[in-house]
Amino acid sequence: MVSGKPSRFKILKGRRNFNLLLVFLCLILVFLGKLDLIAVRNMKSFFSDFLAPVTFAFNKPVKEIAGVLEDVKSATSLRDENIRLKSELRRIKVESSKVASQELELFELRELLKVLPKNKNNIVTGRAITAPGGIFANTVLINAGKDYGIKIGQPAISSYGFVGYVVNVGLKTSRVLLTIDINSMIPIYLTESNWPAVAQGQNGDLLIIKFLSSDAKPIDGEVVETSGHGGRLPPGINVGKLFKSFSGNYFVRPSVDFHRLTYISIITNKKIATTISSGFEGFAPLQKPKKSPVLKGLDSSGTRKIESIED
Amino acid sequence: MIKNYIVPHYLNGFSKSFIYFIILFFILNFEKSLSFFSLFKIATPSLISIIIYIFIKKLNMKPSYLILILVGFLNDIMLGSHLGITSIFLLLIKIFSEGLLFDIDNKKEKQDWISFTAIYLASFCIVFFVNILLNSSVSDLSPVFYHVGTTLIIFPIINLGIDFIFFIKRLLKS
Repeated sequence: MVSGKPSRFKILKGRRNFNLLLVFLCLILVFLGKLDLIAVRNMKSFFSDFLAPVTFAFNKPVKEIAGVLEDVKSATSLRDENIRLKSELRRIKVESSKVASQELELFELRELLKVLPKNKNNIVTGRAITAPGGIFANTVLINAGKDYGIKIGQPAISSYGFVGYVVNVGLKTSRVLLTIDINSMIPIYLTESNWPAVAQGQNGDLLIIKFLSSDAKPIDGEVVETSGHGGRLPPGINVGKLFKSFSGNYFVRPSVDFHRLTYISIITNKKIATTISSGFEGFAPLQKPKKSPVLKGLDSSGTRKIESIED
Repeated sequence: MIKNYIVPHYLNGFSKSFIYFIILFFILNFEKSLSFFSLFKIATPSLISIIIYIFIKKLNMKPSYLILILVGFLNDIMLGSHLGITSIFLLLIKIFSEGLLFDIDNKKEKQDWISFTAIYLASFCIVFFVNILLNSSVSDLSPVFYHVGTTLIIFPIINLGIDFIFFIKRLLKS
């Protein structure tokens, strides 16, 4: 008696092959996404625009509940907080009078040295729609896109300091890659020890420091700012503070609390990258000579060229 | 005669899939928004893997592969992670839960937890490895351990909750 139905083993085997095929297809999709194709990028921005209101609606109640819980938690330590704030206020008042006199002096010195004035930043501020969570990616979606002049690569800041930079722009939304993401690398400057370096995210709380000179002697707790090297980010934006671990390695602790981001500003200056690139030919050792309309037998200055016999 | 039932059958299948999609999409969004709480500031637990496991093993509800791929795809777009990585994770959870690798007869709570731990860790390790390959560097491990730890702690709580609901239901019926 041979049954016409396929055996259970064959069905299982067929299903297993189908499952593996699906996983394999997804893997191909992952590597296609990594290639950063324009079509994939456009599709991502389209879906981000489309899903942003839905995600915002889902996130809003949870965010509010979390806010209420935080308020309740802080209410228990209200008295201690009040005492701390009073002492802080006293200290700030003393420091502000010092700062005012130093600012005046700085202004006069700038005038004397004829220092070029700083460019004023054009800023577009949007509301963070999604939570930055995720162990494999740390990005935030904001509700401002191409229609506000936002472009890929523009820096994002908050009231505390540097947040990250724009990696994808849709019509109504933009995605900001946070500095703590593993794919983020920013040129930094140690403000007290005066050394440039690069800070890279690790999908954790701290940023690892790379390309710091072996001669550098960093100071624990010194302020770290963007250096502006490469012309991609403007210089002088607060990134965080230097932190020395038990092993002796240096890290940067970001000044921004990425989990409590509500508003993010994008610096939409058009001249951040273009001022350096315009007319700048770089320092490449093997540049091709410029083609100039030189007639045969004449050099570029127009004088007659006498060719040697050997030539 | 049978042909008359084809349309309602497909409609039934479609409506089921649609409901699965809404539930899973809602859970994924809820999981992401948990990071607003200071407790889950480092990493949020993987609620979606717990729900899929309970769906398959306890409730005998099997969301289709297409739904899982779609939900994972949308999650990757919203999170900004590599496109397809969540889909792989959800597919692996389903494949392992359906008993291709781990066919443990779950009659006790402890066995249930061990079975889930094995399934979850196997799927997570594969996805984590793919991520390392894509980024060509190993990320900070503390959020990863926190993510795995909280997921494994939360699983028995949700599992007991489901069991309690079933118990109440049976009690009411009797």
